[in-house]
Amino acid sequence: MLTCKAAPQLSNISTVQHNSHSGIFLSRVFCLRSFFLLLCWLTVFPQDARAVQVHGSPEGLYVHQMAHLFFAAALVFLLLLIHYRPIGKGKAWGYFKLSLFFFLLWNIDTFGVHWLTLRLPEGAIISRGSLMEHQLAGPLTLERLAYYFGRLDHLFCVPGMWFLVLSLRHFSVQSEKQENSAENAS
Amino acid sequence: MMGLPLFPVFIVDFFGSALMIILSVTASFHARRLVRLNPKNVLWTYLFWLCMALVAFALSRSIGHMLRFIFILLDFPHVWETLSPYSGGLNTLVFSSVAVLTFYYYNVQGVIQRVRDDANSLARANRQLEKVHAELRNLNTTLEQRVENRTRELKVSEQKFRHLYEGSKDMIFFCDAGGRINGINSSGIEMLGYDREEELIGCPLPSLFVDEEKWAKYYCRLGSQGHVRDFEVELLRRDGSHLYMMITATAIVDEANNMQGSEGIAKDLTHFKMMTDQLIQSENLASVGQLAAGVAHEINTPLGIILGYTQLLEEDFTDRPEVLETLRIVEKQTRICKRIVADLLKFSRHSLEGDKKSVDINQCIEEVLAIVEHSLNMDFIYVQRSLEEGLPDIYADPERLKQVMVNFINNAHHAIDKEGIIGIWTHFDAHCRELEIIIGDTGPGIPPEVISRIFDPFFTTKGVGKGTGLGLSVSFGIIKDHGGHVEVFSPPRDPDIVAAGMRTAFHITLPLQPEMSTPKDQ
Repeated sequence: MLTCKAAPQLSNISTVQHNSHSGIFLSRVFCLRSFFLLLCWLTVFPQDARAVQVHGSPEGLYVHQMAHLFFAAALVFLLLLIHYRPIGKGKAWGYFKLSLFFFLLWNIDTFGVHWLTLRLPEGAIISRGSLMEHQLAGPLTLERLAYYFGRLDHLFCVPGMWFLVLSLRHFSVQSEKQENSAENAS
Repeated sequence: MMGLPLFPVFIVDFFGSALMIILSVTASFHARRLVRLNPKNVLWTYLFWLCMALVAFALSRSIGHMLRFIFILLDFPHVWETLSPYSGGLNTLVFSSVAVLTFYYYNVQGVIQRVRDDANSLARANRQLEKVHAELRNLNTTLEQRVENRTRELKVSEQKFRHLYEGSKDMIFFCDAGGRINGINSSGIEMLGYDREEELIGCPLPSLFVDEEKWAKYYCRLGSQGHVRDFEVELLRRDGSHLYMMITATAIVDEANNMQGSEGIAKDLTHFKMMTDQLIQSENLASVGQLAAGVAHEINTPLGIILGYTQLLEEDFTDRPEVLETLRIVEKQTRICKRIVADLLKFSRHSLEGDKKSVDINQCIEEVLAIVEHSLNMDFIYVQRSLEEGLPDIYADPERLKQVMVNFINNAHHAIDKEGIIGIWTHFDAHCRELEIIIGDTGPGIPPEVISRIFDPFFTTKGVGKGTGLGLSVSFGIIKDHGGHVEVFSPPRDPDIVAAGMRTAFHITLPLQPEMSTPKDQ
């Protein structure tokens, strides 16, 4: 009933208003009408909701692995950027590049460990008893050895963080010197 | 089957996590310090947020790992199993955040570089703008002063030109391309006998030239040479009299060398020419005087002998009337010859200082008029006197001055013939220390072709036997002997004299002697 009443009104308006204004007005009215009709149809003929999808358990791991790859790609990008378009020179930048390099190694290592973890059979990790008794069960294949040493990822991320600290320390010292010289100059 | 103990892994994990926490906090401390030192630096901002992300990563991961050991040691492994996905999820978020930050930093860095380039361009433009602004400000500050200086210079220049233009005693004129006057100074207006400049504006210059050929030559030379120098020409005054002028003129040309007009200066040489003519005349008179003096001296003695013997013969022939009558005719004609010879001697003789004395010129005139006025009145000629009172005496020979007066009055009488007025004016010019005597008549005037010859010896317009042509010549010589000069104007130049009806005026100027310089009433 509403649309029937609106139609003659619209035709009247379109004759007196500018074309572009009447076009916008018409499109809005048609959108409202379509939405109203869809709502009516869904109310009369209800079905299963399709918007929410349940994900399986590997999805979290995949997302995590993709995040590792994304992080690694960003680090490679930053390393190349600093190498080809250097922002500055000096020890601080050297430490910063080392830091990025170690974090890149750490990413590769952790990505590999996560992947190897999935490949380990059940029972490969023996976690009975105290922590001292936990062990990686044999046979010690190359894959298991890689997993074992890959678990020592802090050997990469701690140096990465260490070099980052050194880099930031140098940056702050340099910045302070520049600030002081600027103050003295002024 | 031999396995590998995981304890070393746990040890590295535990202490590595602890170190990561410490190092990440230290890094965040330095990053914060950097940001505080320079909050606008994008690199420091990026590093700060990178450190924050790593701190979050280190804390979540390391704390998680450490808690794992603690919960296992405390025999609550299921608690760790519950927390583990949260730790992993947080780490995932942190990795993604760090990656996004890195790419975002690159874009921001690019944008900043472009902004910096724009800012540098703006700074350069601003510097140029400031420079221009400074120049404009300087110009604006000094503009008023410069305009004032320029105006003052123009004013001074204009005043100089105006003063030269208005104050010049020579005629300065400007003409357009057609030769019409479009500007003339006051001296030029006065010289040409006009009252206002408007009367001459638009007047064709050729119409002022007496001789048309002279104009053609003047214009041709101006056009071909671009200038005319010392061009002598006679110009026509408003009253019909002539001015003898010397013109120096320059053509005004445009960029294409087309004549747009002319500007010139004309010098009045009328007086100079008259003086030159008089000088020539004086030279002529001097020559004639010397000749006449020689002739007179040689003739005077035989004439004296003729006269003496004639008188002796008259005494011898008293009884014979016809012979006596003849001898008296001879005596009469001989006396006429002696008078002429005496006049010639007077004409040629230099004045004697001993004859000069203090003379009241008005009294001298009155004495002359007392003698001649009766005969003038017989011919209905009346004398109009305008004698200035209180004239200073002059140092002169009174008898010779009277002779001059008689000559000029007789000349006027002969010019009028019958019925007319003879005007006599006297005037003292204190500035020039001169006395001026003007004798005018209402006769027919002197024709221009004759006026330059009237002072020549033996020049007369009277019939044969009626005049010797020596009167004006003798008078001229006497005035010269007294240091004065005689000028004749026909028609008169003075409007008052013209108004009195005079057609001819003789101006006799006599200088005062130093001791006679003060007028009587002073």
